Amino acid sequence: MDRVQKAKTVLWSIVALAASVGTARLLFGLGATTNLSDTTPWGFWIGFDVMGGVALAAGGFVTTAFFYIFKREDFHPLVRPAVLTAFLGYVAVIIGLLFDLGLPWNIWHMIVFWNPHSPLFEVGWCVMLYTTVLLLEFSPVPLEETSRYARMRSLLLKLRLPLVILGIALSTLHQSSLGSLFLIMPFRLHPLWYSPILPVQFFVSAVALGMMMVAFESVVSHWLYRRSPATELIGKLAKAVVWVLGVYLLIRVIDIVASSELGLVFSGSRESVLFIIELLISTIIPLVLFSIPVWRRQSRWQAVGSGLVVFGMVMNRIDVGGLTMLSATGGSYIPSWTELSISFGIVAAAGLVFLFAVERLHVWEKRPQDEQSQQFAMPRFDVISSVWLGNPGMASRVKYSLSFILVFSLGVAFLPWEKIQSKGVPQVEALRARGGDTLVVDGNLDGYGVAFAHDKHVETTGGKDKCVVCHHMNLPGDKQSGCYQCHGQMYTSQDAFRHDWHADPNGAKLACVQCHTPGDERNAKSAKQCKDCHSDLIPAGAAVVVDNYYAPPYADAMHRLCVTCHQQKATEIEGKQALAQCASCHGTLSGQNVLAADAPVTWPSSEGSVFLPSQKLTRSHKK
Amino acid sequence: MKAAILTDVTKCIGCLECVAACKRENKLEPDLPRLWQKSDGLSAENWTSIVRRQEKRYVRKQCRHCIEPACASACPVGALHKTEKGAVVYDSGKCLGCRYCMMACPYGIPRYDWDQPVPYVRKCILCYSRLNEGRQPACTEACPTGATVFGDRDELLAEARRRITQQPNVYFDRIWGEHEVGGTSVLYISDVDLGFLSYQPRLGEKPMPETTAIAMNAVPFAFVGMGGLMAGINWIIQRRNKLTGGKEGGEE
Repeated sequence: MDRVQKAKTVLWSIVALAASVGTARLLFGLGATTNLSDTTPWGFWIGFDVMGGVALAAGGFVTTAFFYIFKREDFHPLVRPAVLTAFLGYVAVIIGLLFDLGLPWNIWHMIVFWNPHSPLFEVGWCVMLYTTVLLLEFSPVPLEETSRYARMRSLLLKLRLPLVILGIALSTLHQSSLGSLFLIMPFRLHPLWYSPILPVQFFVSAVALGMMMVAFESVVSHWLYRRSPATELIGKLAKAVVWVLGVYLLIRVIDIVASSELGLVFSGSRESVLFIIELLISTIIPLVLFSIPVWRRQSRWQAVGSGLVVFGMVMNRIDVGGLTMLSATGGSYIPSWTELSISFGIVAAAGLVFLFAVERLHVWEKRPQDEQSQQFAMPRFDVISSVWLGNPGMASRVKYSLSFILVFSLGVAFLPWEKIQSKGVPQVEALRARGGDTLVVDGNLDGYGVAFAHDKHVETTGGKDKCVVCHHMNLPGDKQSGCYQCHGQMYTSQDAFRHDWHADPNGAKLACVQCHTPGDERNAKSAKQCKDCHSDLIPAGAAVVVDNYYAPPYADAMHRLCVTCHQQKATEIEGKQALAQCASCHGTLSGQNVLAADAPVTWPSSEGSVFLPSQKLTRSHKK
Repeated sequence: MKAAILTDVTKCIGCLECVAACKRENKLEPDLPRLWQKSDGLSAENWTSIVRRQEKRYVRKQCRHCIEPACASACPVGALHKTEKGAVVYDSGKCLGCRYCMMACPYGIPRYDWDQPVPYVRKCILCYSRLNEGRQPACTEACPTGATVFGDRDELLAEARRRITQQPNVYFDRIWGEHEVGGTSVLYISDVDLGFLSYQPRLGEKPMPETTAIAMNAVPFAFVGMGGLMAGINWIIQRRNKLTGGKEGGEE
């Protein structure tokens, strides 16, 4: 049993990581925990969890069709695990969606607000209905454990054939509709993948993938529980899948030739390489492998072949789901580890539920021995922890819990805290303005500079005595500190008071009590104010009144100081209305426009208000 | 009247008054650079932006308010819809945050509140409430040079054509938005190529909702067809098994 225990420990660890990341996702939003962007609004969660998940669950409708419709009695051992996998797959898709949706608590809106034109609306409804159908198809299995619900069970068994037919029809619809989703993106999706018959391609590939997923899962679970593999049965599946893969290959080749995109396949671009690799892995190699009778009867090649189809077809879903759109949108997207961990965590959780079910219910012909049955076995001494863990059944649970707690805390520790706190605003240090009588004010050196005629401003403001109008707060002993010395960050506020330096023996060398009164709580509020020691810090007659020592971002500080004054002067002085316009500062630098070509021109703030990243934003959402 | 905006790129001086007016009207927060923003200046807090092209050529970017919008057709809950007056508006109360609208838009316009735990889709709504009051959008009202003007779509198209015929050596012989993706309510005439406003330089004249319409219309037939096919096959096989004396299959 140790193989199962190890697998479960790994699965629990992955679930733990996903649990910590998932909590952060719900608390802090998508931006903090994903690499999704306005360019790439759909990422790994849609490509893998939703598109891949639904396709992987296709085994359910394919196997039930074989057994109940085509009456292939020999497929009986595969039916229950396939239906269970499909059900878990769909639940996993829904849980994955709950993390991906911006407003997951509104997921039920699809039931009441209808837009039948939307393929996503159809997919949503089919997923809801088919998950229910799968639940009804599978529930006789847990119900047979007790005689209490015998009537309900017999009713479900009577309904089984209609349910199976309904399930196949629903699967046909939404396996293909997942392809329809992308028909509306002819300009995003790469032409090698975009096709008006995407829905057909998706359906055929889902059938192939469904069959191979059932085979692959059978191989893996038999290996896990050290049971003899169902080689003969999988051989039959492998023989059947050759036809499906053949049809799929034919459709794709005809589609490429018919739309005269054959040149694109061999163009050597990133997409062409991806296309060839995808088609080789998902279709051509397994097709060749399973066409050879000797190979498709060997369990080793069965594992390889089915694994290739599963990997390749999921790759196809990821390619269509966004990977091949990057060249059209010009974006770059690499899923963050947080995204990957949630995706794999959901799969791992589904795996754990699957193992739980096969150990306790009659999913396989022969139920594998579970840990519970070992509760009267001899306790073993754990070599790693040197702790007496009780009987083996209990010991394994202790290990799972331990791994969960450890990995959960690791996940919390490694969360992208910096991104969460900055809300995606990059930390950009503001640099000092350069020049002599005319300064180039461009804190982040991005070319959005302003040519600031310092000498002229001194003149018009009223000479050397009027420095204080703009230099509203200066470092001790200084009369004209540069703006950047307090407003040190381009886009974020910062504390102008340097506590570290004041307490440092190599700096101001102050004892705590010199600012904080003993007995009081030690915080900025109860401490001495800066002006109590530095009397010359805030001069009178300044344009800005400093009432706290949080310096607004450089960009905001510049705009507030300059714009306020300019707007005032524009109304006061006759013929100077132009002063209030952006172009009076932005737009000229020795006659040249300072804005870089192709750069967006942005207006940092409508009212020059101060933005604190920690401050709660209030907004009105208008219809 | 079908509300529309005509932007004449040759007249724009890049003063940003439209951007500022939009911010004031829609009470948008100050804009900060974010890791997830596109480089075109549009963001959750910037519903219109000025993109500089070449020397002294400024192109205002905003939602095109397509006549048959891809976003509205894509939204599974109908949170986006085209109003009678011409604006494509957003109902945050219906939205579930799937972001399909962002994927479907051929111009890549809708933006998202990525930093919010409760995020919404954000884009230009053609100052819908002002339209209802009989006023024009804040941006066109603010434009000091008349580079971007508000009016009836047919009248603006006529005006655009008049300007092009008057100065054929200045303008491209094309009104962006007249026919592409079935026509848009925000029109452009320009002396620089505006292909960069969409994902592909030429979008074709087919409205985007038509791309999925064929597949969606086939849905009932596929459902009934597949169901019927399976029931039929099952009946035939069951009958064959009965006639050949084979055992009844399907039950455990």
